[in-house]
Amino acid sequence: MKLKKYSEALLNIFKKKGFQVKEFENIIESKIIIERSGEIFKKSLLSFEDDNGKNFSLRPDLTISACLDYIKNVKKGVYKYAYFDQAYRRTFGKKSLVRNQLGCEIIGSSNLQLNLEIINLIDESLKKVTKNKTTIKLNDINIFYSLVDSLKLPLRWRLRLKRHFWRPEYFNALISRLSSNSDIQKNVFEIDKNSYFKMKKLNQTGKVSGRKISEILNRFEKKIKEPRSNIDGKRVARIVSEFLKINCSFENAKSKLKKFEIKNNLNLKLDSFDIFNLKFKKNNIFLSTNIGRNAEYYTGLVFEIYKKSKNLSLASGGRYDNLMQTLGAKNKIPAIGGAINYDNLLKL
Amino acid sequence: MSKIIKIGLPSKGRLKDESLKVFRKCNLSIKNSKRNYISEIKNFNPNEVIFSHAREIVERLADNSLDIGISGYDLLKESLPGIQKNIQVFSRLNFGFAVLVVAVPDAWIDVQTIADLEEISFEFKDKNIGKLRVATKYPNLTNNFLLSKGLTQYKIVNSLGSTEIYPFTDQSEIITDITSTGSTLKANKLRILKDGDFLKSSACILIAKKSLKDKYKKTIIHKLLNKIKKTPENEF
Repeated sequence: MKLKKYSEALLNIFKKKGFQVKEFENIIESKIIIERSGEIFKKSLLSFEDDNGKNFSLRPDLTISACLDYIKNVKKGVYKYAYFDQAYRRTFGKKSLVRNQLGCEIIGSSNLQLNLEIINLIDESLKKVTKNKTTIKLNDINIFYSLVDSLKLPLRWRLRLKRHFWRPEYFNALISRLSSNSDIQKNVFEIDKNSYFKMKKLNQTGKVSGRKISEILNRFEKKIKEPRSNIDGKRVARIVSEFLKINCSFENAKSKLKKFEIKNNLNLKLDSFDIFNLKFKKNNIFLSTNIGRNAEYYTGLVFEIYKKSKNLSLASGGRYDNLMQTLGAKNKIPAIGGAINYDNLLKL
Repeated sequence: MSKIIKIGLPSKGRLKDESLKVFRKCNLSIKNSKRNYISEIKNFNPNEVIFSHAREIVERLADNSLDIGISGYDLLKESLPGIQKNIQVFSRLNFGFAVLVVAVPDAWIDVQTIADLEEISFEFKDKNIGKLRVATKYPNLTNNFLLSKGLTQYKIVNSLGSTEIYPFTDQSEIITDITSTGSTLKANKLRILKDGDFLKSSACILIAKKSLKDKYKKTIIHKLLNKIKKTPENEF
């Protein structure tokens, strides 16, 4: 009953603020998800096959449903979604296949004010409905990318760290590999040098299993020119680990990062980040460089609203400017959204 | 519960021949004809020997229509967790050795490790030419391994045989497959990645856990296993 009361109240507030309460299709074509997320998400889908061999799934996530609805029905302009419904997927460590999801999304604009609007809306609604004081944690994923770009690392390692930022466990394994400084690839290259010279003589536009010969040789050359043994892996690993521990008041965040930048002789290009221009009415706002690592589709600002005294995350969200295109939109459609952490509301 | 012990043995190939040898060595004779898929151990308690596909033996042990059987460790580990939890590995046998590996075309000289493959998979994604396709007869083991190594941007293509030709017939870009000497892969211009072997397999004796809960069956199964175990030629 408590949850029902909360969800109805929250949805009402969203509605009053101009959000459209929508219901989404229950079933989506699995291909849309698999083409986007690969096999990693396939395991979580609750799927079935129709008579034509087409694979369908129960909707696994309502942010994705909102995006698909926009692509199919709205198509252009700014649209503000609010929803409270069920999503269905397997989650490691959880028995239930049904997840109640309550959230809101603003699709179709990259306006900085909308970042503020969505954070404030969720924060104030939670405060009003639960009668609890909340704290906001912010981050911009691009600050981490900027850090990686300013580190002395081969391009392939920079890309690797960025790609796996959202998978903390695997990311930590990568950092351990960096600090161990083991590099077996150099020896291996010697063996393949003969093939390299043979392939140089072939038609460079020819393909082997989907890859052009010129691409294969280019990448081979790059690896020889950029062996990882030339870098100080331990230093890089230390800087990355220290960066991910930064958790300070939002007010002092820029100066704290500036100090970190000077100490480690980096260039984080801090002036290029909009996040520092956000103006909040409340004080208990923090910058935490380690949040927003739970979803691979975040592209910029991420936030978490929580009850500090109980260390409970009540809501989280962020900007996902590339998601729409990967779900089938013809052009880039920026978006931002957030979801209430329903299970934790019960613990208040 | 029936008093007949049901034994599943592979129905063809070396796995069948070697499995029959295990029983022969301890004087348990199994009548065997090419066409007949049902037989028995003559000088033993009431039993039925059923010759099945090695993959089916795993499934029938899990639903307890078999009590004991010989199959490949790879096939057991490929099965779903719900199946594996119903089966006990009694012991590995000294035949049917093979390794499950990730193999790429020889000409992909820039790809030596899974980390390289992970980069290539993003090249496919970024160029919008679909996902890197991995052909395999072992989708579950392949998924577990690749995901644990950081590869996320790929698509499984289920294969039932001749997986080695998939990368050269535009059915996949790379494969995972079981190999004992690597010669078939080599002959098909494929190369195993340096860190690409992920399961060492052999034939093994498997028991249905449910059968061990039945006192009578447990006694007979142990009697049979003791006979096999005590024969020195059946090295475990």
